[in-house]
Amino acid sequence: MSQPIWDQCYSQLEQSLSAQQFSTWIRPLQAVFAGNDIMLLAPNQFVKDWVCEHFLTQIQTTLDSLSEQPPLVSIEIGSDRSIQDSGKSIRPDFNTSDQKPVKIKTSSTLNPNFTFESFVEGNSNQLARAAAQQVAVNPGESYNPMLIYGGVGLGKTHLMHAIGNELIKHNPDANVVYLHSERFVADMVKALQHNRINEFKAYYRTVDALLIDDIQFFAKKERSQEEFFHTFNALLEGQKQIIMTCDRYPKEVDGLEDRLKSRFGWGLPVAIEPPELETRVAILMSKASLSHVDLPNEVAFFIAKRLPSNIRELEGALRRVIANSSFTGTPITLEFAKDALRDLLALQAKLVTIDNIQKMVAEYYKIRIADLLSKKRSRSIARPRQMAMALCKELTNHSLPEIGDAFGGRDHTTVIHACRKIAELKEEELMIKEDFTNLLRTLTT
Amino acid sequence: MKQQLTLGIRLRDDATFDNYFAGQNEQVVYNLKLQDEPYVFLFGENGTGKSHLLQAACHQTGKNGFPVVYLPLAEEGLMPAMLDGMESMSLIALDDIHNVIGDEHWEQALFNLYNRAREKGVNILVSSAESLTSLNIKLADLKSRLSWGPIYKLTALTDSEKQLALQERAKNRGLDLTDDVVTYLLKRSARDMTSLFALFEKLDRASMVEKRKLTIPFIKSYL
Repeated sequence: MSQPIWDQCYSQLEQSLSAQQFSTWIRPLQAVFAGNDIMLLAPNQFVKDWVCEHFLTQIQTTLDSLSEQPPLVSIEIGSDRSIQDSGKSIRPDFNTSDQKPVKIKTSSTLNPNFTFESFVEGNSNQLARAAAQQVAVNPGESYNPMLIYGGVGLGKTHLMHAIGNELIKHNPDANVVYLHSERFVADMVKALQHNRINEFKAYYRTVDALLIDDIQFFAKKERSQEEFFHTFNALLEGQKQIIMTCDRYPKEVDGLEDRLKSRFGWGLPVAIEPPELETRVAILMSKASLSHVDLPNEVAFFIAKRLPSNIRELEGALRRVIANSSFTGTPITLEFAKDALRDLLALQAKLVTIDNIQKMVAEYYKIRIADLLSKKRSRSIARPRQMAMALCKELTNHSLPEIGDAFGGRDHTTVIHACRKIAELKEEELMIKEDFTNLLRTLTT
Repeated sequence: MKQQLTLGIRLRDDATFDNYFAGQNEQVVYNLKLQDEPYVFLFGENGTGKSHLLQAACHQTGKNGFPVVYLPLAEEGLMPAMLDGMESMSLIALDDIHNVIGDEHWEQALFNLYNRAREKGVNILVSSAESLTSLNIKLADLKSRLSWGPIYKLTALTDSEKQLALQERAKNRGLDLTDDVVTYLLKRSARDMTSLFALFEKLDRASMVEKRKLTIPFIKSYL
């Protein structure tokens, strides 16, 4: 067997190469043993070429020095699937020209943690969630295709996996395939290279539900769009469920064919908006309880106020607080959280003050800051003032009386009224909603 | 004639968690060692030991027989294609990511790598000289993925900690660096740990070649 010799060779290389060289070029290689010979598997062409050029001779020389009958070493692109995949991938591998019939494994690439139970509902995602649940119960019927769209880090992928998990719960034999659109493109290219395009087509047309993430990445990839278009039609005809996500409304994606744009809109396009403060707090609380951590309300509010637009950032901040607390054995208090997140929040903290909000709002509506603070009650002034107050409540830790004070000595009930008014108007008037989102984005990024 | 080193005498400094001089970064090291977070973003100025920690993480995972890869993105000649297929690793360490941020192809390739890694349950450890907020990332989707896990800042060592760090490294090689010598070095070299360790490395070699001890007169003659 050549394995013990390879192990020795590996240790010798570790000694003779720099730590960086070793970790960059040797550690990624996986050795496969065939009789007396060794085949090294490199993750890609680049690594293969580099190792060939710079290290292969040294490897062979080292092997030669270790044995009377040294194994012959060669290098190929690939990975040792038996170790790596452990049945995780449901898709056939189109990266070989191997024409064996494809065996589809039963386990899937769905993330089991992304369920409806762990999805925190709020105004911003209610509709999307309700629709998703409908689809999970009646796949292929009620809303097909389903399209979830919205900005990054708002839970589109979570919702999509939740549907997938639910489908499998109801029908364990269902072939539910989740993949990123980029992966669809890559698989197609490989299938073309290896003359397996028919197999590729056949595969995608026999799934029970196809979950495709981030379809905006199909933009400008015409051949992939063409292929996806046909797959899409075949699945719809067979009443198979299609679920897609996109970072914006598909009609706004440049470089997407019109026929696709129109088809994507056939079923039910639902939007996910950035979550409002209360939902962000609820998300933090739910994540904390999943990690069995006791998160005080005030800490949740503190974090939620400072990271308004993206759930991933919210989660990252929480993880950091939890990690620090488990390291020091300190309970999580407001002071502790402030300290733990100092670096992360430094940039935001500088920006989001009442002054800053007033300045930004005044600029946005092209009025003067003095107007915001004045007693004027004409709508062109009052609306921006209410907007600024609502933003202050959303983004700063100031109390309502403090906010009132900062707007020309107004009463805190005026601030409450302003926040309610803006919340109401956001529902009714698209313009106000847009203004709010734009200002929020400018103030926090 | 070229002077020659006797082979095998010089000990190499492997980058491990144990020989990282943590200073105020103990907590970060503790968290990294646990390796229970799939995505971690590490930032800190030059010489705070980012590369050391990334290599240490590779060392820890790699010694258990898992394939891992360390990618120094500051090196010239690397291309986005370098990231293809990396999801077959158990851990991907991306060092100095700030070097490729802003380049459309790299950003796209990194974004794709994150997606594939998530599908396969692969861990990604990233380092950068700049914080996530000050990096000028064009692809918002990439930024959001980079911020998914915890973000740790590495704090540079104080001068007295640097002194201890140098002495500890010398001790690991069986050398004794007196306080005088270290103070002398700190005053005459760039004081970030990368430069200091590099200088120490050179001096160690030179002292071995000339068979002399590391004293101030010797260092003077060398510098």
